[in-house]
Amino acid sequence: MSTTLRLTGTLAAWTAMFLVVTCTPATAQNTQSSGKKDKQANEDIFEWGEHPSLHFGKGTRIDFRARLAGELRDSEAPFDGDNARENIDIAKRRLGVAGQIRNIVEFEVDAEVGSTNTWRDVYANYRQFDFVQVQGGKFKLPFSLDENTSATKLDFVNRSRAATQLAPGRDIGVMVHGRLLERMFGYEVGIFNHDGDNARTLNTDRVHGGQTFAARALAQPFRRTKSLLSDLQVGVAMTRSDLPEGYPDLRGLTAMDMRFFRADAWVMGARKRHGFEVRWRPGPASIKGEWMRVSDERLGQGVDDGPLSPLLGTGWYVSGTWALTGENKANGVDNPRRPLFRGGYGAVEVAARVERITYGSKANDEAPSDGPRANVIPGNSDRVDTFGVNWYANRWIKVQFNVVRDTLTDPILGPLPSQPSFWSRVFRFQVSL
Amino acid sequence: MSRPRLTLSALAIAIWAVAPAPVAAQSADELFDPRAVHDIRITINSRDYRQLREDYLSNTYYTADVAWRGLKVRNVGIRNRGVGSRNPQKLGLRVDFNRFTKGQTFLGLRAVILDNIWQDGSFIAERTSMALFERMGQPTPRESFARVYINGAFQGLYAVIESIDEPFLTRTFGERDGYLFSFQHQGAEAAWRGEYLGDEYHPYKRFFEPETHQLEADAMVYQPILELFREVNGPEDSVWRERVERYVDLPQLVRHVAIEVFLAEGDGFLGSNGMNNYFLYRPAKSTAHRWIPWDKDSAMLDSHFGIFTRADENVLVSRALAFPDLRAHYLNVLEECARVAATDEWLLQQVEQLAALAEGPASEDTLKQFSTEAFAGAVDLIRQFAKERPAFVMQEVARARGN
Repeated sequence: MSTTLRLTGTLAAWTAMFLVVTCTPATAQNTQSSGKKDKQANEDIFEWGEHPSLHFGKGTRIDFRARLAGELRDSEAPFDGDNARENIDIAKRRLGVAGQIRNIVEFEVDAEVGSTNTWRDVYANYRQFDFVQVQGGKFKLPFSLDENTSATKLDFVNRSRAATQLAPGRDIGVMVHGRLLERMFGYEVGIFNHDGDNARTLNTDRVHGGQTFAARALAQPFRRTKSLLSDLQVGVAMTRSDLPEGYPDLRGLTAMDMRFFRADAWVMGARKRHGFEVRWRPGPASIKGEWMRVSDERLGQGVDDGPLSPLLGTGWYVSGTWALTGENKANGVDNPRRPLFRGGYGAVEVAARVERITYGSKANDEAPSDGPRANVIPGNSDRVDTFGVNWYANRWIKVQFNVVRDTLTDPILGPLPSQPSFWSRVFRFQVSL
Repeated sequence: MSRPRLTLSALAIAIWAVAPAPVAAQSADELFDPRAVHDIRITINSRDYRQLREDYLSNTYYTADVAWRGLKVRNVGIRNRGVGSRNPQKLGLRVDFNRFTKGQTFLGLRAVILDNIWQDGSFIAERTSMALFERMGQPTPRESFARVYINGAFQGLYAVIESIDEPFLTRTFGERDGYLFSFQHQGAEAAWRGEYLGDEYHPYKRFFEPETHQLEADAMVYQPILELFREVNGPEDSVWRERVERYVDLPQLVRHVAIEVFLAEGDGFLGSNGMNNYFLYRPAKSTAHRWIPWDKDSAMLDSHFGIFTRADENVLVSRALAFPDLRAHYLNVLEECARVAATDEWLLQQVEQLAALAEGPASEDTLKQFSTEAFAGAVDLIRQFAKERPAFVMQEVARARGN
């Protein structure tokens, strides 16, 4: 059994944050309720609504954001120092500003203090027209619902394995996006320098995708109806990158980031991703699911210089949540009807997720081999069941507790070679302004 | 030897080879058929092949397919091998069938050595020497000749040598659970002749690389070796024999050394640069180590090689031969070697048969270190050795016995 405590941020920072979120809600709520009057009185005004903000006339504002998060984890399996937690997008000490200029340009600059990858989202979005907007900078590639959900709004402490390991994550690029037909359909199409930071590790000997084309299409076919299905959203996405010759950065990590697969096989050609997603949030409940696949070509990598069967990473998950306190999920359970310190105790939500991530080669017509030029490689998969409880004390404080069970197909490659299944627990405390 | 004589020999050997050829399913025995020259074809990615040549000093494994007589084994691991024989022109290779594919074997073998025969101008010294070791009843790796092709290109004449590993132990010792070590020569400046290296395991680990039980604690693996050399260097002659025999099968060692000396092996246990070219095996239920011969490509060059050459330099051999019964055993084995070699010109026949097999492929081998003319001259030297050595050794043995 191993336990790690990850409390990010100094004691002073936590204390300051706690004082702010416990002492300012009334002020903030008052400010919010009287904000319109104040704004009328003074066009350039400091306001504390969802975030502390500065307003500079109509449609121009800057929001200041800060987020501190701490995590306590323990597992039957040993934590491995090789599996860098820093590669995974969890909120830590994050500071940022976001805003908009004359309702035409919106921007965000977000940094994670103390991280090797300091700059998170740094982008501007030209949004004069709803049907066609242009966004440039560093931001998440349009692939995967889970990956593109803000870390503060996740239903579980960790994103799904598929989103974390197969979706691209952030990169520098330009994207055209928009919503059509009264927002029934949405699209995102972009070109990026590489295929995202999820695909990269600190090991520079490994290769990842070069210039990447990404596209995602979303549909809410019942949006204009008032039925239960009005929130139903489905989407498809794809990316395509050129992959240089080398060993890829693809690696399989368990829910607690313990390695269970490493792709020590030559690749070259194209890296293709395909994804399908669905989300539905009827009232206090929600259900969502995704399937995605990364395929790395291995052109010219056979012992005879011929092509090998592509290397595949395939993942899916289905998850559901239920707000026991009745909040409407689509409106955000993170804004409880009866917040703590305002006569209530916040919102409570239960959640469950079933997922599997599998690595291997497309072909399976011969004995698998560890050889880097084997047509059939010995893959592995991790089935992860997660059960969780989320407590949203108010809009700033969120507490999550997850119990996770990993089951590996081939435990020899995992953290507990003699045991295919093992339990882990993780507790997360998050304060965000 | 002149070319016509070689050609006649080749014809004779061809008849000899064809007549009793066993009709059997393909097996390791066939792969090591001493009368055959096999074709072994290796397919390796061109990038890996380039790297294999450029980094010929490295032991990095690369994936390859190996084909022999219509059998193909996929995803084997191949790497460069050898010490003095390493070169980028004609690669010495180790082929591990189970390196990348768990449990994979080829004809029951886990690995074979493709010896580039780089330092042996005759191409036959190694094989002739090993034939004598086998004839003398020693645990000996099987060998045959092969034309090796990499990605379709002829690489020259190679010796296919059985790897000294667990299948070898099973075949020769009838067990596989003991501790097997390959001796790692550390260069002339670190020549070691059996002196005690101290109470730490580290100096012994440099010389003895474990081929089995690699994951066991050093104490389990190396303590008996440390004890061996401590006792070998013990000051008390009166208890030396009793103590050393706990760790050394002395009659077997004496037999091993005597055969090497008969073969005028200058790079073996009594090598000019210290001990070299052997494997050490400690059976599972014993601490008495045994010796396995390896790499005899520099043997059979000097038919007048003295039978006690450098015997006094090696601590273990010099003290062992101080015991009359072990000295007598040593001389008996030398005499036995001479009789075996001389009877029906057995050794000379070996030379002729192997030379006939090697002649054609060796002359086609454009990557060999020496010229084809040098090959003929080197074979003549070996032939000369086979003719002269038995009589010389008999004479030396008689002199040593005081006759």
